[in-house]
Amino acid sequence: MTEQMDKETREAALQGMGCSRKRKEDARFIQGKGRYTDDIQMAGMLFADMVRSPYAHARIKSINKEKALALPGVHAVLTADDLKPLNLHWMPTLAGDVQAVLADEKVHFQYQEVAVVVADDRYIAADAVDLVEVEYEELPVLVDAHKAMDADAPVLREDLVGKMQGAHSERKHDNHIFNWQAGDKEATDRVFDNAEVVVSQDMYYHRVHPCPLETCGCVASFDKVNGHLTVYLTSQAPHVVRTVVSMLSGLPESKVRVISPDIGGGFGNKVGIYPGYVTAIVASIVLGVPVKWVEDRMENISTTAFARDYHMTGEIAADKDGIIKALRVNVLADHGAFDACADPSKFPAGLMHICTGSYDVPVAHLNVDGVYTNKAPGGVAYRCSFRVTEAVYVIERTMDVLAQKLGIDKAEIRRRNFIKSEQMPYKTCLGWEIDSGEYHSSLQKALDAVDYDGLRREQEEKRAKGELMGIGLVTFTEIVGAGPSRNCDILGIGMFDSAEIRVHPTGSAIARMGTITQGQGHQTTYAQIIATELGLPSEEIQIEEGDTDTAPYGLGTYGSRSTPVAGAATAVAARKIKAKAQKIAAHLLEVSEDDLEWEVDRFKVKGNPGQEKTMKEIAWAAYNNVPEGMEPGLEAVDYYDPPNFTYPYGIYLCVVDIDKQTGETSVRRFYALDDCGTRINPMIIDGQIHGGLNEGFAVAMGQEMPYDEQGNLLGNTLMDYFVPTFVETPKWETDFTVTPSPHHPLGAKGVAESPHVGSIPTFTSAVVDAFAHLGVTHLNMPHTAPRLWKTMQELGVK
Amino acid sequence: MQVDLDKTFELPGSANQGWTFLQDIRGVASCMPGAEITEQVDDSNYKGSVKAKIGPATMSFAGNIEIRSIDLDKRELQLVGKGQDSKGSSSATMDLTAWVTEEEGKVVLRGKASVTVTGKAASLGGRMMTQVADQILNQFGKNFCNNVAAMGEDEVAEQAREELAEQPKELNGFAFAWSVFTGWLRSLFGGKASS
Repeated sequence: MTEQMDKETREAALQGMGCSRKRKEDARFIQGKGRYTDDIQMAGMLFADMVRSPYAHARIKSINKEKALALPGVHAVLTADDLKPLNLHWMPTLAGDVQAVLADEKVHFQYQEVAVVVADDRYIAADAVDLVEVEYEELPVLVDAHKAMDADAPVLREDLVGKMQGAHSERKHDNHIFNWQAGDKEATDRVFDNAEVVVSQDMYYHRVHPCPLETCGCVASFDKVNGHLTVYLTSQAPHVVRTVVSMLSGLPESKVRVISPDIGGGFGNKVGIYPGYVTAIVASIVLGVPVKWVEDRMENISTTAFARDYHMTGEIAADKDGIIKALRVNVLADHGAFDACADPSKFPAGLMHICTGSYDVPVAHLNVDGVYTNKAPGGVAYRCSFRVTEAVYVIERTMDVLAQKLGIDKAEIRRRNFIKSEQMPYKTCLGWEIDSGEYHSSLQKALDAVDYDGLRREQEEKRAKGELMGIGLVTFTEIVGAGPSRNCDILGIGMFDSAEIRVHPTGSAIARMGTITQGQGHQTTYAQIIATELGLPSEEIQIEEGDTDTAPYGLGTYGSRSTPVAGAATAVAARKIKAKAQKIAAHLLEVSEDDLEWEVDRFKVKGNPGQEKTMKEIAWAAYNNVPEGMEPGLEAVDYYDPPNFTYPYGIYLCVVDIDKQTGETSVRRFYALDDCGTRINPMIIDGQIHGGLNEGFAVAMGQEMPYDEQGNLLGNTLMDYFVPTFVETPKWETDFTVTPSPHHPLGAKGVAESPHVGSIPTFTSAVVDAFAHLGVTHLNMPHTAPRLWKTMQELGVK
Repeated sequence: MQVDLDKTFELPGSANQGWTFLQDIRGVASCMPGAEITEQVDDSNYKGSVKAKIGPATMSFAGNIEIRSIDLDKRELQLVGKGQDSKGSSSATMDLTAWVTEEEGKVVLRGKASVTVTGKAASLGGRMMTQVADQILNQFGKNFCNNVAAMGEDEVAEQAREELAEQPKELNGFAFAWSVFTGWLRSLFGGKASS
């Protein structure tokens, strides 16, 4: 065997970075042996269930618990009045507002939590919920965000009347939450006033829900003897939950243990803290027994965390050649009854100011007004990094409108406005520094791959025959990996993340992280990073997450932050171990550290073949033969505060055919080129992209949470709410380019959200394109058959 | 979820007979499948209930009916019914104006109603509400006619009494679903959704 072959064999055996290693998690999932929150059983455990309001806005006149309490097996019925002495009837939200844990005198949205019943089992609890008698007095309902700040609009938040200073700005109406701006308004307006071409497009990014397979839930167990509280919880951020629970309950953080077991999908739904969690914890503390609360599907879609609900206007000022001179974005944000958005504290509209996209925009202004309505609270990042989905949607839609107005092809207009690779790192006019990107060459690769010109010719022919074919194109840039603590914090805690790696004497290892996997495959990919960094086989590296008693503090997994932040922490921690290992190797080989070079899994003495120590040998020595003055052991921890976000990007192309008789859209082709920098596990990346495209397809083509005028949510069951299966899902074509992030230790950028963020406007772009020759510039989502049928009726398409 | 309905039923007998029956709130309520008056609170306020069986689930609405006005000259009745289901998860309100009049030599009962539903009933059944309400009212109209006809002594009256005795005692969701479905099918082929 040649030396080269030997090296390659050893490298392959590690199953490190770049290898499509099979997911370690799958063995238990495909055998039904995952352990989810609802699988937790404890002796003496009781069950909690919620009494919810049928009204969207009503005063509670009375609550009669007598019949419910009389039901055998019922232990308690708690209302806001019962939580008042503990000051837990309201709780702070991540967005600087407060939210009623149980409705206090008033209900603000349909299905709001009014009382909680605790009983022997979930059936008795459900029966008892029916027996709680609540008398309501209906109040006028506000569901239209555009009417929220009318002079005669009903005041929703009586608790805030007179408090005109909000968490982020002054409030100009009782239903106003905040005004938030980025960029230079005056300079932008000046450019618009003198522009050769101006386009403006209104669009509504509808209200949707992440709808993970597993709903939210918890098991709270308070030990009255030692004062310890253990909470099993479906949380994407267990450490933050621990801090919040400690702050709310007054228990020392050291006596609170939060465990996120296996999670059946999060997608932003499991970042927040919900009344069900709080009441289960209170009930456990009061009753001294474990209490389980798990919501059902209707409760999940209706109450725990919606996404989007942004009414947006995108405007571009350009010259006759389509070169952008300025961008203006205006947003009316419907936050529901309580501002419970999960965003970094400083940004009430998340990272919406990434809305300049992949383009060289000289000047821009973003204005966002948040308002209260009688809808459920939330505003989470549904497979998205804090409103980047909305930002990408508004810029990509408006770019299409500009192209259409000028009669320039939508690929060409993007090419003309792209940030050039030589401009990288590029400082956007709204304050971000895009770290890297090769937009021009990636676009060309995508256009060639699908034969874009051929598709356009085919479209011409079809149009001549009266058929409806649309081509959608999106060239998006994401902003993920929140984030640098100078920009980002949650409740004052910087958004770093962490890794703690310990190499055992025989050379296997355990790593514990501050993140928590929900399908991303962390147990597989983090081990691959360590395998490559330390030369230990990934199969022998155990990854643990989600137990706050054992893992180092981290901010959790959402916003595609695991690889950019915790992945970086893993690499840095591994490099600390490697540096110590090098010293031990030098000691063992009796040479200077500088005489050593690293090769796959060992340190070799330069120019002296055969003189080497493998990492496994070094690990053994770390526990019995270290240089004088060095402490034994081989472990390291790293808390990584990223210097910048990472900016994965993609070029997505979609071809649709629309049936003129039924309005049915058939996605004939979907091509997704992603650049997520260094690729750790290509198979998992493909899986993440497929998942993200599926969810993007779901949002664009069917998912919605419509409310009627009375504030009834029409569509909170899976009978109405669209969750695509393999039957509906189109075939996905994936492709990639690699532009490593210059500041990330591995060059990796994060990928799980790109396909969701990027595909949604691509579907709209394609559907609108099918009608572009009829003067249509935009159609609001979801692009369902009945809606498109109506569009065709209006357009007179026959 | 709000639905506005406007229905006309041709009545047997005279306008006065129809009007006499319309003022009998208990009688009128009994025309509504599954509905009954349980208590008369005072001259213009009643308590009542409606039971609906939809598959394995039974929804039971209990509430108040308030007679807002009775106009003898116009033979017109206005009432508001408001109810909540026994589980507290849904509620419904109906604002109804009904009058008996003669049109082109025929005696007709006309009803204009605005029905508002909130809660689970709206979330789950919203999309079917117009059709279901329409079918309920058709059944109501048939029963009403039979009740008016039954006031007489002839053969028609006897037949009407028999039909009334056979009517289902509660609102059956399956039967309604079927009639809604057939009504929809008919509408597809250009017929009227309801007769």
